[in-house]
Amino acid sequence: MPIKAMTQEWMDAYKAAIQADPDYKSIAKDWEGSVSLVVNPEPARNVPEPIYLFMDYWHGDVGDFVVCDKEKADSAKFVMTGDYARWKQVAYKELDATKALLQGKLKMKGDLPYVVRNIKTVNKVIDILGKVDTLWPDGNK
Amino acid sequence: MTDNAIIENRAQEVPFSHVLSELLETNVKQNPHKLKTFQGLYGVVGIDLKDIEAAVTLVFSGGRARIEQGIVGRPDIVIKTDSDKVIGLNSISIRFGLPYYFDEAGMTVLRQILSGEIKVQGMFAHPVILTKLTKIMSVM
Repeated sequence: MPIKAMTQEWMDAYKAAIQADPDYKSIAKDWEGSVSLVVNPEPARNVPEPIYLFMDYWHGDVGDFVVCDKEKADSAKFVMTGDYARWKQVAYKELDATKALLQGKLKMKGDLPYVVRNIKTVNKVIDILGKVDTLWPDGNK
Repeated sequence: MTDNAIIENRAQEVPFSHVLSELLETNVKQNPHKLKTFQGLYGVVGIDLKDIEAAVTLVFSGGRARIEQGIVGRPDIVIKTDSDKVIGLNSISIRFGLPYYFDEAGMTVLRQILSGEIKVQGMFAHPVILTKLTKIMSVM
């Protein structure tokens, strides 16, 4: 049964999907540090307020995966920001995250060389994100 | 451009230029050996990402660089590729002070050059600039 996107239940499902992935642990073995996703509001798509998601990754393990406030989101080692529609496109793989970054559709705060060095980890967690059975605020597709 | 900035970005309207500027500046400042290479780099390099219609020119002048919007003048080297492949260029390892093409990342880039997915104009005429560019752009 699909889970409402960007809710705590959805974050729990995402965390579980990452933990269950057979390849994640080895691919992400070098990654250390938390990542926040900031979802800019789009009232027309039923996202009236910004949404802040905090995820803690540590050498192939995962810690806190929570819907949070702005302050906690800003405390992450890496903060990625984008409009709701962009994030949905990323989840559906209609938009490549790297391309979105280079086009300015997503913005990132943090150590960029580190992210590029670990781009396989980034691509892996995005790949898993797309596998979570999700009910999007503006409907699926 | 702040006093301690080493990159002047004159291509503010091109989002790719911000990523490039931040990547280069952070990379060089984090690695003394890359900074040394950067300080010895003189030349002009164009990067043209057709799929996202973004092009910039990097002008290196020994410890400083500026980014211009579009391909301007006659660059020594012009790299033409797609946005997903340009990041691969940053993954080339450096061994014994030289780019190393015989691991997975290096072989991928070599294949893309041979297949024409990455075009590097001026690579044979300006191998020193290309080597130094690869060294300062490598995040490995």
